Amino acid sequence: MKKVKIVTIILAIIAITMVALLGVYIPVQNRMENKVKKYSYAMDIEGSRTIRLRVNTGTTTTIKDAEGKVVEDTEELTDEQLAEKGYVKEVIPYNSDDVKNVENYRASQKIIEKRLEKLGVDNYIIKLDEENGDILIELTENDATDKIISNLNTTGKYEIVDSETKEVLLDNSYIKSAAVMYGSSNSTSNAGTQVYLDIEFNEEGAKKLEEITNTYVKKEEDNSADETTDETTNETTDETTAEADSTEEKEEEKTITMNIDDEEIMTTSFDEPIKTGGLQLSVGTASTDAKTLQDYITRASSMATVLDVGKMPVKYDLDENEFVFSDIEHNEIQIAKYVALGIVAVALIVLIIKYKSTGILAAFSYVGFLSILILILRYANVVLSLEGLFGIGVVLVLNYILVNQLLKKEKIGTTYKEFFIKMIPIIILVITFCFIKWTPISSFGMVMFWGIALIAAYNSIVTNSLLKIKEGRENRNERN
Amino acid sequence: MKETSKKTKIVAFLIAIIVIAGIIVTLTIGLRFDLRYQTAKRIELYLQKEFNIEDIKKITDETIPNQEVIIQKVEVYEDSVSILSNDITEEQKSNLINKINEKYGVALSADNVEITTVPHTRGRDIIRPYVIPFIIATVIILVYMAIRYHRLGIIKTIIKTILTLIVTQALLLSIIAIIRIPIGRFTIPMVLAVYVLTLIGITSSFEKKLKDSIEKE
Repeated sequence: MKKVKIVTIILAIIAITMVALLGVYIPVQNRMENKVKKYSYAMDIEGSRTIRLRVNTGTTTTIKDAEGKVVEDTEELTDEQLAEKGYVKEVIPYNSDDVKNVENYRASQKIIEKRLEKLGVDNYIIKLDEENGDILIELTENDATDKIISNLNTTGKYEIVDSETKEVLLDNSYIKSAAVMYGSSNSTSNAGTQVYLDIEFNEEGAKKLEEITNTYVKKEEDNSADETTDETTNETTDETTAEADSTEEKEEEKTITMNIDDEEIMTTSFDEPIKTGGLQLSVGTASTDAKTLQDYITRASSMATVLDVGKMPVKYDLDENEFVFSDIEHNEIQIAKYVALGIVAVALIVLIIKYKSTGILAAFSYVGFLSILILILRYANVVLSLEGLFGIGVVLVLNYILVNQLLKKEKIGTTYKEFFIKMIPIIILVITFCFIKWTPISSFGMVMFWGIALIAAYNSIVTNSLLKIKEGRENRNERN
Repeated sequence: MKETSKKTKIVAFLIAIIVIAGIIVTLTIGLRFDLRYQTAKRIELYLQKEFNIEDIKKITDETIPNQEVIIQKVEVYEDSVSILSNDITEEQKSNLINKINEKYGVALSADNVEITTVPHTRGRDIIRPYVIPFIIATVIILVYMAIRYHRLGIIKTIIKTILTLIVTQALLLSIIAIIRIPIGRFTIPMVLAVYVLTLIGITSSFEKKLKDSIEKE
């Protein structure tokens, strides 16, 4: 009976080990597919999206009249026609020579870092070429990578300008913070959740905003305007609402245009002065569809991130954007794996030599532990970085120490107690690391967390059972 | 007792020598950084077919001799190669491209291949993400240590723990500096492993002392 129990446990360990190391293959469309989940690797092992931001060398051309005001719709005019009308053509580089210096390059790098942090990027490498201002960024490749990249080369220039004269009324220097807000829309025509971009201005900005909203106020109250929009967008109306106004009113009304990176976001006027120092701009329309809302939230978050972090002093262009595999090849990981298995084998042979037949059982138990650990790491979606791989090594060492202690003729209960008391500082470290949003650290934390949890559970169930069966319940109980 | 104290003194002396040597090496020669953290030159070649990194390595060994080279596959089709080295001259680039053309039957032109500069990674950028997590974890661990081993003296326990953690890390970094192990991707995992092992060592030592202290009472 004793033998049957031992054989059953050993067979179970062998089965789990085969699943963990070889996988489970089942036929899928005329080919064999491994149904065991693959490992998730971090960018140091898998590879990364590598982008290069180059300092923009382009220029912008503006046409100004004799009074120095910017003139629109002059694309079709020839140089002669411009001269006849008294217009002056100005070619301005996006990045003047004054702007292209190390301080500004460093400031831009800092802003990009802040944006990456705000966007929740959990692993990246950023490098600055101080000679030419090039910024190289390595990012984890996933579904969000493209969206993240789209936020990196935007300058983040925010302006509220007079729609007619293009005079800058408010810019980034007046922004205190930007965030995403949600609210429910009570409109009968458009019920659901409305996403807002909430821009908070600093003290000076708040005063400026009040002045602007006083100046650019609607001349006549438009009863047909959407009441809900009036209420929830803090007295701002969007382009659509503005279109509903009569043509006559439009002609009289002074409007502002809101630009982000020289791109027009909206043209609007205000129902009443804003004294709160905050602007809530509706992003999209109210919706109940989760996917649509998520899309609006993503858009609003991108804008909020760019505005909140500040304007980059240098305009950058996205130059390279490609996935580069890690130079740690998977076959190198395989080699490392076999080396580690070799070390484990030697350590287990030492156990067997030292503790004879009990050592053999402990060795089987140890192999089972390793197999379950690597299965857990796959199914618990632990992202493996190099730190994580080192974590596996540490867990294996810790388990070896415990098994070795269990094999000594000591009380099992005391052995566990002493071992885990010594582990408390490591458990504190591991739990702290699990909550850190930086993949190499969290990878180490998660691997160690699962490893320590498994050491506790597995040894008390499997190793302990094997040893108890081997030595006989009564003897073991005496030890307890 | 005297023997132990002598042993401890010898160990402390050896550690001090290694740490001082490490500081001197770091201040004079500096730390050695892995190629991926140094300023390097990079070229990227579109081979239009899958390739073996070992074959490219043979070519780079011939054309960019005596230099560390990192070869990486680029993009999902794995038909482009990125070659990173400390320095790549125009002549080396031409030779490399000629050899690649020969080997893979492609017609790459040296004129169309740009040598780009990959800037170095600042040491502080490498360690920055780890500083706060380590501080948080260490502070919590110190609080635990102070509570658990208050019988051994709170201040004494805290100082001993901090000193041991600092000394072991300084020892590791000194060894890295002295034997010129490049600072690279394995440095932080090594630091983590040493940190964990040190914690086990400290706790074991304190547990023993605590047990002795309780037994005495």
